[in-house]
Amino acid sequence: MTSPLVFPRTDASVVADDGDALHFCSTCAFSQACLSEGMDKRALMDLHVLVEHVGPLRAGEHVFREGDPFGAIAAVRAGTVKTYQIDRNGHEQVLGFHLPGEVIGLNAIHGDRYPCNAIALDTVMLCRFSFPKIALLAARLPNLQQHLFRLMSHDIGVASLFARDNTADERMAAFLIGLSRRLAARGFSPRRFQLTMARTDIANYLRQAPETVSRVLRRFEKDGLLHIKQRDVEILDLPRLEALALAVLRD
Amino acid sequence: MASLSSLFDPELLRRYDTPGPRYTSYPTAPQFSPGFQEADLREMAAITNGDPIPRPLSLYLHIPFCTSPCFYCGCNRIITRDTARGAAYLTRLYREVAMTSALFDRDRDVEQVHFGGGTPNFLSPAQIAEVMDVLRRQFSFAPASRLDCSIELDPRFITPDEVGELAAAGFNRASLGVQDFDPDVQRAVNRIQSVEQTLAIIEACRTHGLQSVNVDLIYGLPKQSLEGFSRTLDITLEARPDRLAIYSYAHLPSMFRPQQRINADDLPSPEVKLGLLQCAIDKLGEAGYVYIGMDHFALPGDSLALAQQRGDLHRNFMGYTTHAESDLLGLGVSAISHIGPSFSQNPRDLGSWEQAIDQGHLPVWRGMRLEEDDVIRADVIQRLMCDGALDYRDLGRRHVIDFTTYFADALARLRPLEDDGLVELAPDGLRATSHGRLLLRIIAMCFDRYLPTAAASTPRFSRTV
Repeated sequence: MTSPLVFPRTDASVVADDGDALHFCSTCAFSQACLSEGMDKRALMDLHVLVEHVGPLRAGEHVFREGDPFGAIAAVRAGTVKTYQIDRNGHEQVLGFHLPGEVIGLNAIHGDRYPCNAIALDTVMLCRFSFPKIALLAARLPNLQQHLFRLMSHDIGVASLFARDNTADERMAAFLIGLSRRLAARGFSPRRFQLTMARTDIANYLRQAPETVSRVLRRFEKDGLLHIKQRDVEILDLPRLEALALAVLRD
Repeated sequence: MASLSSLFDPELLRRYDTPGPRYTSYPTAPQFSPGFQEADLREMAAITNGDPIPRPLSLYLHIPFCTSPCFYCGCNRIITRDTARGAAYLTRLYREVAMTSALFDRDRDVEQVHFGGGTPNFLSPAQIAEVMDVLRRQFSFAPASRLDCSIELDPRFITPDEVGELAAAGFNRASLGVQDFDPDVQRAVNRIQSVEQTLAIIEACRTHGLQSVNVDLIYGLPKQSLEGFSRTLDITLEARPDRLAIYSYAHLPSMFRPQQRINADDLPSPEVKLGLLQCAIDKLGEAGYVYIGMDHFALPGDSLALAQQRGDLHRNFMGYTTHAESDLLGLGVSAISHIGPSFSQNPRDLGSWEQAIDQGHLPVWRGMRLEEDDVIRADVIQRLMCDGALDYRDLGRRHVIDFTTYFADALARLRPLEDDGLVELAPDGLRATSHGRLLLRIIAMCFDRYLPTAAASTPRFSRTV
């Protein structure tokens, strides 16, 4: 069957694909930065010795907690990681969902402790990079440095996406289109994927009530934009959903 | 739809008269394990609440008591005339309702309620109405137009006026046990039930506005004859129930103690038994009924028949239903739940169920978490049992598999069934022949991964016909 992989279902080739000294894992967060600019084998090995494979973590296990000493950033290889903070009133605030190929811990770089919690939502595998070491390497490798800066600025952009004043429909469309684009960039199907995060997490992230999440999605389903069965989402009308998301996503 | 008489092929029915599951669930109950406990059920409920659009709920309530033992019965029931036991049971049932309803988000509507047993009308109509009140308080009920409330009734223990009380409590469907009107048969199975009282209850269901009445008949009972059963069918069809179930009696006295009181010499021969089924199918065909699947028939305008035409029929522990997938919560002794990708069952003995509730626990006895393969096979078997056909491309798309590769073994097992004319295999799908439709579970068994191990032990499943 030629259809692309449905996230987060991983076939044996992905799970077995651990990479080695000269090869990247298929979902590596850094492979594009390094390969596109032709890193030599020596530099590649320098990068790879920094990498430590972590996991699998089971759903509900923390990758790090707020206040833990910061020493490493981590790239998601498989599964979904949720980052969140607990506010002064003890309420959880969801900051984001991190998919394969994406990096967590970037917001810790300016301090010496993690400013948030990171928790596995399903079976998660990670690559951990010692931050002092990768920073040292980046000083020698302009491409790597540039890529790190790009990742950091993207992280800030994502966090502010839903701070603006948009309708419930627009925010939900932007959320789904965001997931779709990010998954497509890693070779997963952009039209079919699983929502690995719970309804309450989506609601929290979009600053909506859980009932609103369901109501909006039911309406989308009725309008033929998508089809949902339990956690499985199939986007049926990508252009219309993108048009709706445009109010939130600028491009 | 093919005419009903084309369903019947005595030679095939004889050849495939082997024990087989009824597939009200896949995997079937023998696969459940005591490793699945209360904490697992809580986790599954939380997972289903986390779905972006959580599924609606179906409630099954098991009332285990019967006043008098019918000898053919294989159900989990307790024989007593002490009505106080019903009240004591309800006290605990309400505690179970309170504990379990707390697991589910309040915006999950209840769309289906079914009372089974035992004999639900062992309870008084006032008690049954009270149960409905408790349920309405603890769960969010869908509006009446989307709500199916059904109850199994023993016509011997309810009056037409009491049917009105049940209708007022919200019931819109009833299923009546009849089995056979022949007095010899009724004596042999210890269930004396007059035609008059039965017809009066059917009539009362109509008078009080119930949308649908189902009647259960059984063939293969002791002392049953073609003439007697034929008369039973005539009387029943005269009343034109919306749905009819014609069950095959499975004599398994070693599994079901009450059946030990049936004299095996009184059982009809295999030839007579097949004749009884043929008689039923012929008469139902003449009366204009359509075949739904397994043991079920319906009038063409009934919602089940309409759903089947749309390809929108479903099957769960309560049998065939028009409700798209819901999470099923079973309450009471021995009840089975199907929450997300899991099955779980309450203790089958009353003492264990009572003890768990008295100690403040959800009474989970056993269950299982479904793996991806289980979910795929459950969908395949459900489509087969409801449509009598499979569309490989559709199923492949839904589960992101190449159907013919994934099910190469099953398709190989189907070849002899194709040679026997039960099923037609095409490159993009399969379809049960009209002769194969009465033997759907034989076809479904080819897709059951657990069957070789399940079949190795003593017969746990009733015969297919």
